Amino acid sequence: MNPAISSTSDLARADITAVDRVLAGDVQAFEGIVRRWQGPLVNMAWRYCRDRGRAEELAQEAFIRAWRNLIQWRRESSFSTWLFALAANVYRSELKCFPIVNIPLDSIAEPSTPAAQHHALASRLSADTVRRAVLALPLRYREPLILFYFHEMNLSRAAATMRLPEGTLKARLSRARALLRRRFPQLEAEHMSMELAILNAGKEA
Amino acid sequence: MNRTKADTAESTQSAERLAAVDSILATEEPLIPSSGFLASVMERIHEQARLPLPIPFPWKRALPGVLFFIGALVWGAVELVRHGLPAGSGITLTQPHLSATLERPLQQAAWVALALCVSLLSWLLSRRLAGRSGLL
Repeated sequence: MNPAISSTSDLARADITAVDRVLAGDVQAFEGIVRRWQGPLVNMAWRYCRDRGRAEELAQEAFIRAWRNLIQWRRESSFSTWLFALAANVYRSELKCFPIVNIPLDSIAEPSTPAAQHHALASRLSADTVRRAVLALPLRYREPLILFYFHEMNLSRAAATMRLPEGTLKARLSRARALLRRRFPQLEAEHMSMELAILNAGKEA
Repeated sequence: MNRTKADTAESTQSAERLAAVDSILATEEPLIPSSGFLASVMERIHEQARLPLPIPFPWKRALPGVLFFIGALVWGAVELVRHGLPAGSGITLTQPHLSATLERPLQQAAWVALALCVSLLSWLLSRRLAGRSGLL
């Protein structure tokens, strides 16, 4: 038996049990839900705002909203799908009320070519720049990108979280990636040369 | 033939370009929530649980009143049509002639109907806005 499947179904069962207990009046049973989903929800919020403190605040708000609206989970989809969709809604509306300070996409400088000795640090910095550039995209393209990578490039799960058809999400995703690629042409070239170097090293070995 | 080769090269290049963004965005070190996060969420949940439940709108009590208003509106509309339009004359743009005794109550009824419509619209709008912001 696949342990991953087993653990997923165990998680789902644990969620259902906890929800039933909470709905029966046992508030403490919600702790299990928070314990299981705090990591994913905080990480998801982090991708929305790139601010640790704010991410925890947003995740906390999402949990409270989930607790209040637990009765609305109709069990047609999994608990996690419902929770992620609710959290995305909370993050979207909270960030609309109090937006994160963004700089325009065009004013983000592309990272310069790194010196060899600082390669690791430079690549980390450039990756961070690209991640932050996601936040400079228009919301319409930003959110699909955030959720697609949060769900480990699973299109259907990202679409379920956004409550959008997969086709629409795919189109927005494609546009978002195009915007990013256009913004960072040098990064693409670096990545390609790095890939080539790895390939050549492999051949020589 | 050349066209196909060019297309293939272009798509390969595009895929490689995609890989750069994908590899950056897909590989991200997970953030571990701070140690007090769980406790602070549960504290707020308990706070919320201690709060008294919001008083629901008394639909049962309000129902007779609502029905009465709807009935009055329907009656007013029927009376307006019956007295305003002479039989067989068809619809005209001229103001209907109303008897002096009916004119004033009907005017009042029209104002009440207008006020009710405005209230209903504002209620629907506020619900819609609250729903969008996730308050409901």
